Amino acid sequence: MTFLEKQTDPTSPMHWRGNMQADYLYLSGVAGDKFFKHLMKNDTFLATKCPECNKVFFPPRLYCEDCFCEIPEEKWFEVPSKGSIKLFTIATIDSYGKKLKEPKVIGLINIDQTDGSLLGVIKTDKPDEELQGVHVEAVLKPKDKREGTLKDILYFKKK
Amino acid sequence: MNRRIAIVGIGNTDFNSMTPDVSWKELMFEACQKAYIDAGVDPRKDVDSFITCAEDFYEGFSIFDEFVPDQIGATLRPCCTVCGDGIYGLGNAFMQIKTGQMDVVSVEAHSKISDLLTFGDVVLHAYDPLFEKPVSGPVERQNYVGSPSYPKEKPKPIVGSSNEKNRIHPYFLAGLEMQHYLKKTGTTEEQCAQVVVKNKKNAFNTPYADYEANISVEDVMNSEYLFKPVKRLDISPNVDGCIAFVLADEKTAKKLDVEPIWLKGFGWCSETPWLSTRKMNADYAKMASDMAYKMAGITNPKKEINIAEVDDRFSYKELQHLEALGLADSGKAGKLLEDGELDISGSLPTNTSGGSLGVGNCFEATGLQKSLEIVTQLRGHAGKKQLSDVDIGIAQSWRGIPSGSGAVAIFGR
Repeated sequence: MTFLEKQTDPTSPMHWRGNMQADYLYLSGVAGDKFFKHLMKNDTFLATKCPECNKVFFPPRLYCEDCFCEIPEEKWFEVPSKGSIKLFTIATIDSYGKKLKEPKVIGLINIDQTDGSLLGVIKTDKPDEELQGVHVEAVLKPKDKREGTLKDILYFKKK
Repeated sequence: MNRRIAIVGIGNTDFNSMTPDVSWKELMFEACQKAYIDAGVDPRKDVDSFITCAEDFYEGFSIFDEFVPDQIGATLRPCCTVCGDGIYGLGNAFMQIKTGQMDVVSVEAHSKISDLLTFGDVVLHAYDPLFEKPVSGPVERQNYVGSPSYPKEKPKPIVGSSNEKNRIHPYFLAGLEMQHYLKKTGTTEEQCAQVVVKNKKNAFNTPYADYEANISVEDVMNSEYLFKPVKRLDISPNVDGCIAFVLADEKTAKKLDVEPIWLKGFGWCSETPWLSTRKMNADYAKMASDMAYKMAGITNPKKEINIAEVDDRFSYKELQHLEALGLADSGKAGKLLEDGELDISGSLPTNTSGGSLGVGNCFEATGLQKSLEIVTQLRGHAGKKQLSDVDIGIAQSWRGIPSGSGAVAIFGR
């Protein structure tokens, strides 16, 4: 290779600064549609149960990933918008690597009566405390402000 | 078609935190040229098929495979891109040669991640957009008024918008998984810190490595928590670099002036993408290695494997992966490390190249970087860190945050 002299100043080489305009609509799908429409009007969640292995999916799905079977209409049911913290971490940097103004506690919350978990922001006064196993409840937007997205869940807090 | 398949050529560039001296195409040309010279083949005549491994969003191109033939010698030849790690590419090359249609196949993977100005946001894009990604914070939204699907008269409300600006870095998932691994196995943060110390030290003997360092466990422990319990030094820093391999069937390999290193087995596996039901025990590595061991005829990996290069893009991952691969008992990899068994002088030298912690995280090239070290050791060309009596080595890679996928390759002399 005939690169005998190398550049050391990253800003000096000729370059073109470009970006991808890559914006999408992500449809909620049949199961997501039902879940979010329910969440707009209720303070509970929906889950589905596999008719073959009885695994309870949260977020609800139309099919079982273990049995590869369809989950029928009658296997949908309501669960409370509560759960226990399976795992948690305290994030301190943003997507550019810069320090966040305030560290954010993110938990993987096992939703009650289901085999599924949800990522959620956890509001706590003592971010350093042991949160594993702690029972939390979702704090939802007021019903008239809900949009039918995960953002309708503002955060989780200790019960 | 029961023919053995060998690695007959390897080539790599230097690995650097940034490579402003060359374009990504020139980086690929350099590694491929070295691999073809190493194998003694002319890509325009002797290589029957070309495989590159890349991810469109890391590259900054749509239909990335359209951009590769010229710099690897593949114009007007069979050429394709695997959207995944380099070991998936080796597996595909193996299968192509097995068909008898091809005798010589090249595999390339690289990282030019320093070109990507919004790395964190691109990785966040790998989380489920409806149920997972929103936890990271707001999505910047364009005003679509005027675009065909959003009529001017009645602009649709901007769903999910908020006044917040900062999105949380996608590596938060490593914080969750590391916590799970530590609690499940009783492994300590200090043991993970020791992985960092070992690998950065090993990297001093790897000329292409970029993150070699002489540091102590205290240095790692004192680095700040970014995603507790993950600390700054537990994370492998991003680097640019390129690696290329040339593979050939046994008959062709024996005609070349090179010691063939056999690709004896490989495997790959994907867990559910849903964090809601994933178990976070690196089962992808276990399943992939089960497949590779079976193919290579390995029944007792602990005894038969002489050297391991496993994915260590976060310090805990090295220990978790060693256990998943059956090279350490569950929860015992940390003890092996403390006892020095994972050192170059130990019974299971692990990441003698320096791994991703010492070399740097080279994304889809990670599996080939691990394979490069194994092939170099098996050839006896590893210099100061050369192991004696090394016959069988394993290379393992993971597709990175937030995936639950990975691949394994087994090489032998």
